[in-house]
Amino acid sequence: MSLVHYAKVRPAGAQRTHLGIRALLVGAYVLCVEWARVSIQSQPYMAIPALVIGGAALGLVALGTPADRLGLGSSRLGLRILGGLAIGAVLLLPGAVRSGAVPILPAGLAFAAIAVSIGEELAFRGALYAALDELGGAPLAIAGSTVVWTAAHVLSHPPAFLGAVAAAGLVLALWRWACRDLVAPVIGHVIADLAL
Amino acid sequence: MKRAVLLAAAVTTYMVAAWMVAPGFYDGFGPTQPYNWTCPPPQAGANIKPSSGHLDIKVIGGVSDANSAFTNDGQLVIGFLPGAFDSTGKTTISVDITPLSTCPQPPGIGFVTNIYQITASAPLAKAANLVLRFSNLEPAPTDVYFAGDPAGPWKSIGAQQQAQPFTIVTSTKSFGYFAAGYPSASPPPGAVTVGGGGQTLPIIVAVLIGLVILAGIPLAILRRRQSHGEVEEEGDV
Repeated sequence: MSLVHYAKVRPAGAQRTHLGIRALLVGAYVLCVEWARVSIQSQPYMAIPALVIGGAALGLVALGTPADRLGLGSSRLGLRILGGLAIGAVLLLPGAVRSGAVPILPAGLAFAAIAVSIGEELAFRGALYAALDELGGAPLAIAGSTVVWTAAHVLSHPPAFLGAVAAAGLVLALWRWACRDLVAPVIGHVIADLAL
Repeated sequence: MKRAVLLAAAVTTYMVAAWMVAPGFYDGFGPTQPYNWTCPPPQAGANIKPSSGHLDIKVIGGVSDANSAFTNDGQLVIGFLPGAFDSTGKTTISVDITPLSTCPQPPGIGFVTNIYQITASAPLAKAANLVLRFSNLEPAPTDVYFAGDPAGPWKSIGAQQQAQPFTIVTSTKSFGYFAAGYPSASPPPGAVTVGGGGQTLPIIVAVLIGLVILAGIPLAILRRRQSHGEVEEEGDV
């Protein structure tokens, strides 16, 4: 199942502290960007700029992290794309079965939705996951990225939705871990955001 | 195997969690709260009746204050500039917003919001800014419509550039009945219009599942052939 392989050495001592601070900074940055994006987004005429700039600011955090550490790559691309379609189907299935509602995203928001979806995946399952993985391994990376992802959506979602948001974050993080792949979460997230 | 089991468990958890909240996963582009319908469309789920609103505007020195009247659920906001009313002989002007309890569907128009009646104790002297929120369960409206009577005739009073997602903005110089909608070629008379293409999301999901299955089979066959090839090559050596 693994798509990308790399050697992993557990850190110790000062290096661990350094990695801890880095993970903390990445988490704090991502959280601040998301909360700022949501706050600005609610202002008149600011929705699209906030989404696009917010997505770009989230993506920035992944700069400097090697592509393979982010889970990006072109090996077994077919499998990654297929995984993305499957994740998209999973994320949309409850909405499709339950309501059959028309997923209408205003056209102007589509580009912004793509930008913020990619930015969120690069930030949460990319840079933050990689930083936490280096610090404490996969369990910390999966749990930590899911917790920060859920906290990041506190301002944009009613409390009742946060369970579904957390569960979606868990699915995406587990895929990232199980397949060492970020391409599929990006594709799945973009599909889900465009549809709902 | 362990990874696949954990992933399957997470997918199941998500399905249960998302099932409990309509429409399931969304990323904050939709309205932050569900629309309160007078006549909810079938896909709306649980519904709360829409709220009314009331505002008393002070008149100081013969000029009415700037203020905004809104329904308690925030689905309609009407803003008034200073001196927006012909306030001759008045010290206070009352504005009332009431959602109509029925959902008339005039020919040629598809309403996607409730119909609201706005009344005031003085006529307007300047245009007021009107903002209507709409749901993501219906097509986005193109116009705000106005009528002096809910039975019609209804006329478009246009729409300005969208200030926030899922809102439509216009201005009005008269009070009466307001609703947002779009020109519709063949409306079902007397019925609530349900968003066009109500099966879009199920179709999207069905297509995704179909693609995964159709593309997954040849990929699985290719992988199996590759792994067989590798075993045979190893056997040859």
